[in-house]
Amino acid sequence: VTLRQKMLLMLALTVIGVVAAVGWTGSVRVRHVFEGMDREQTDLLVSQFQREFNHRASETAEAMDRMAASDTLRGIAFQIGNGADAAAYLTVAVPLAQEYRLDYLELVTHDGSIISSLQWTARFGYKEPAIAAAGRPAFLKQEDLPDGTSQIGLFATRVVKGSDPPLYVVGGRQLDAGFLRDFPAPAGTQLLIYRNVSGPFDAHNFTGVTEGLEFAEHYQALVDEARTNATNAEGVVYPTSRKEESLSVTAIPLKAPDGNVLAVLVVANSRRSMVEVQRHIRDIAFGIAGLGIIFAVLASLWIAARISRPIEELARAAGQVAAGEWETRVDIRSLDEVGVLARSFNNMTRQLSEQRERLVQTERVAAWRELARRLAHELKNPLMPLQITVENMVRAKKLPKKQFDEVFKESAATLEEEIENLKTIVGRFSDFSKLPKPEAVEMDAREAVRRVLKLYGPSLEEKHIDLGTSISAEPLPIMGDSELLHRALSNLVLNAMDAMPEGGTLTVAAVRAKETARISVADTGAGLTPEECERLFTPYYTTKRHGTGLGLAIVQSVIADHHGTIGVENVEGGGARFVIGLPLMENGRG
Amino acid sequence: MGRRFAISYGAALALLACVALPAGARTRPHYGGTLRIETLDDPWQMPDGLARRLVLDTLTTASDTGGALPALAARWESGNADHRWEFWIRPGVHFQDGEALTSDTVAAALSGVCARPAPGMGACPWRAVRGAGESVVFVSDSAVPDLPELLAQREFAIARQDGSGAVIGTGPFRVTGFANGVLRLAANDDCWAGRPFVDTVELRPRRTIRDQWLDWSVGKADLVEVPPELVRQAEQQHMNVLISGPVDLLAMTIDPQGAFASREMRQAASLAVDRTALYSVIFQKQGEVTGSLLPQELSGYAFLFPADQDLDRARALRGGTTVAMVMLGATDVSVADMSATGQLVAARLALNLHEAGFNVQTAPSGSRQTGAQTGPLELRRIHLEATGARAALDEVLARFGQNSTVTGTDAASLWQVERGVLENETIVPLLWLPRAWAAGERVRDLRLLPDGEPDLPDASLETGK
Repeated sequence: VTLRQKMLLMLALTVIGVVAAVGWTGSVRVRHVFEGMDREQTDLLVSQFQREFNHRASETAEAMDRMAASDTLRGIAFQIGNGADAAAYLTVAVPLAQEYRLDYLELVTHDGSIISSLQWTARFGYKEPAIAAAGRPAFLKQEDLPDGTSQIGLFATRVVKGSDPPLYVVGGRQLDAGFLRDFPAPAGTQLLIYRNVSGPFDAHNFTGVTEGLEFAEHYQALVDEARTNATNAEGVVYPTSRKEESLSVTAIPLKAPDGNVLAVLVVANSRRSMVEVQRHIRDIAFGIAGLGIIFAVLASLWIAARISRPIEELARAAGQVAAGEWETRVDIRSLDEVGVLARSFNNMTRQLSEQRERLVQTERVAAWRELARRLAHELKNPLMPLQITVENMVRAKKLPKKQFDEVFKESAATLEEEIENLKTIVGRFSDFSKLPKPEAVEMDAREAVRRVLKLYGPSLEEKHIDLGTSISAEPLPIMGDSELLHRALSNLVLNAMDAMPEGGTLTVAAVRAKETARISVADTGAGLTPEECERLFTPYYTTKRHGTGLGLAIVQSVIADHHGTIGVENVEGGGARFVIGLPLMENGRG
Repeated sequence: MGRRFAISYGAALALLACVALPAGARTRPHYGGTLRIETLDDPWQMPDGLARRLVLDTLTTASDTGGALPALAARWESGNADHRWEFWIRPGVHFQDGEALTSDTVAAALSGVCARPAPGMGACPWRAVRGAGESVVFVSDSAVPDLPELLAQREFAIARQDGSGAVIGTGPFRVTGFANGVLRLAANDDCWAGRPFVDTVELRPRRTIRDQWLDWSVGKADLVEVPPELVRQAEQQHMNVLISGPVDLLAMTIDPQGAFASREMRQAASLAVDRTALYSVIFQKQGEVTGSLLPQELSGYAFLFPADQDLDRARALRGGTTVAMVMLGATDVSVADMSATGQLVAARLALNLHEAGFNVQTAPSGSRQTGAQTGPLELRRIHLEATGARAALDEVLARFGQNSTVTGTDAASLWQVERGVLENETIVPLLWLPRAWAAGERVRDLRLLPDGEPDLPDASLETGK
């Protein structure tokens, strides 16, 4: 993942997160506000209904007051009080109820016997306990009906004015669909009455306007709560999965004077308009948020590109520097931190280039010095005998001829020997400079190892050096020059033998290590110091008294030409181990 | 003084003369005029629709004191220990279309009645009927000693149909048309019993009691019905009410199956009924409370059957048995706008039964003619035509579909038969009710027949118009 992608992702996520957080907070806030408004509206409706309900109760009581004071009833009371047959008034409740718009009406004697009953004519003679509420405000009462059902009504009991003995009228209005229909309910508000509260919930016990009844069964929990606790129960009801069809429902227990819940008035207020407004606001918010996110992503793209481009150029330039392009420079486009970084980078590469140049020059001088020192050292040894021999020959000139001849002969031999020695030295330097490029062919690394061991096997025995080998049973195919590898391995074996003048153990291994052929040559000699380990492959560095310091340099050169690696380490318990890694051929290809 | 006295005396005589002359005129019935009658029911309704009474005759008629009087049959004889009866057809009687009444016509008409009995009608009391010259012979498997009285019942009226399907009889009136909801009947001048006084009867059926009374009050109707529960109200409104004796039996029948399979349960239901409340309040003390199938004045022993409510005993008889809800239907109670009253009676009975632990609901009123069958409990009205105790008991038992046969003629025998029926507790007699009519001021000489129906042929109109 690139820096630009990371920045883009980070910016985009940040913006989306912020937008989402703002949106969620706004949504929650809007919902709370609307729910508060909905609650207020429902509370208003409920209080309005309760006022209307109280008004109806007052109307009922007033109607009963008027009836109790009417001439008709006073006449009937007078007749009955004077011994008239009450049976003659069996159906008098019917016209009276029509006149005073009552749904229930009963004329009751002073002993509580019904004379005339509108709602249940056949109940004449039976007792009506509601006369105990004579003169009180209107109250709720459950009225049993001939068909076995019962209805709830707003009742009032009055004594007919001037009656002696008292004649009671118990009348009221039914709480039915008609009663509810006259309520000033706003559009979307449903009013239902749940009757027969004593049994288990049954949606058929609801009475109300038709359009509210289809959701009646969903009010069960609120109705049960209201009739159980005898207190108002509020909640939101979702009759369908569609949120706009949800309803804010308040279940109001309708209680008899003794506190028993007779029915439950359900006020269901549609939340459609609120949900639609909420949805509208949400849609607008989503639209704005979507546009914001798109804009944020585009802006992030631009910002990320603007910020990351100089850094990418720096990274690319750093890569070029790492690849050896020391002269790489970056453009400085700004004065900010990135500009400072670019300027510093350019300074750094310039300094690196200058320091490298100085280092090369220094190393070159050092090399020449080392070469001069080595040459001087190497040439100094043969030159001293040459000088002494020549001086002997000059002094021998004064000797007799015979002696001079002997000296001359000896001196000539010495000169030849030392000159030969000089030639050898010069030849080695010449060989190092003329080290050929390897002619790589497919070969088995094990064969190179076996060839060296075969060559130096007898010498090892003479020097009392034991040989330990660990050669892979599987081929170790490499692309290599067998002669050069033989020369390099021979060099390592000879070094090991030199490290063990008193004998020891030479361990040679050739094994597969991942994708390389690993060849190691270990001795049990004195080992190497850390400095020696560090400088051992430097040309002309040697730890031997008569070494040229070119052996291991040649080995390193050969291994490098084979794209391999060479290293040295001390072996635990004494000795050193040279480890060569040569790339194995993949599927027969190096 | 003497002169003044003479003038005053003369004026008083003149005034008396003015008052007395019309009074004297009212003593003589006038022929002619149109009598306007309004009824609630279908005038052709079986068995006692008013049009059937005016158009059709029976072989015999019931006398006021019991027994049968000759009508289309001039005389009759029984034989083979009342297993065979022969009725001689009155000679010279013609149908309203001029066809002579023959014994074969009578036999065919009666056979048709038995072949297609009206709903609620019992089985015909004879096995075969045939014309034999001038007489009609009835043969039965069992003795039918009161066949002449039974043949006075309106369901055995003699009728035939003309080519257009119109009903033709030998009665005092013939149908002349039906228009604008009014059935017009004209006086049959050739009626064997004599021409009726009025020329025309306009019968307006299916009028509610309220409409009938309204028409009566404004003079648009001369004769309207007065249900028994409204008799007191009618009298308070100063209507000229004619009230019959007890002719309608209101009873609750109990189907002896299901919830009421045991006699104890039926008896419990019977004891739960409060007849007094029905009599005093609903029917405004008209008729009489009864536990008998016959009115007290007819049988003389009706008081022997208990008619009091006994809720404690009813509850005890019911015991702990739980009775599922049963229906109490009011059928055949719709006489003179009594359907609402029938419902009220049914509701009251349901309340009584509820007090005794029965769960009873009332069903809408219906009619057996429409096939209404509402439940194990049924409120029924039985109209009694017979005027003799034995014939009346036979008639009532037949109406209730009872197979008991009344053999004896004395009161003890009748009581034995009735007690046997009532002990089964499938019939709970409640009230005997009268029938009542309100006649207008111009109607004269109207009386009610023993079965409570108006005797229209003998009625006349004051103006004669």
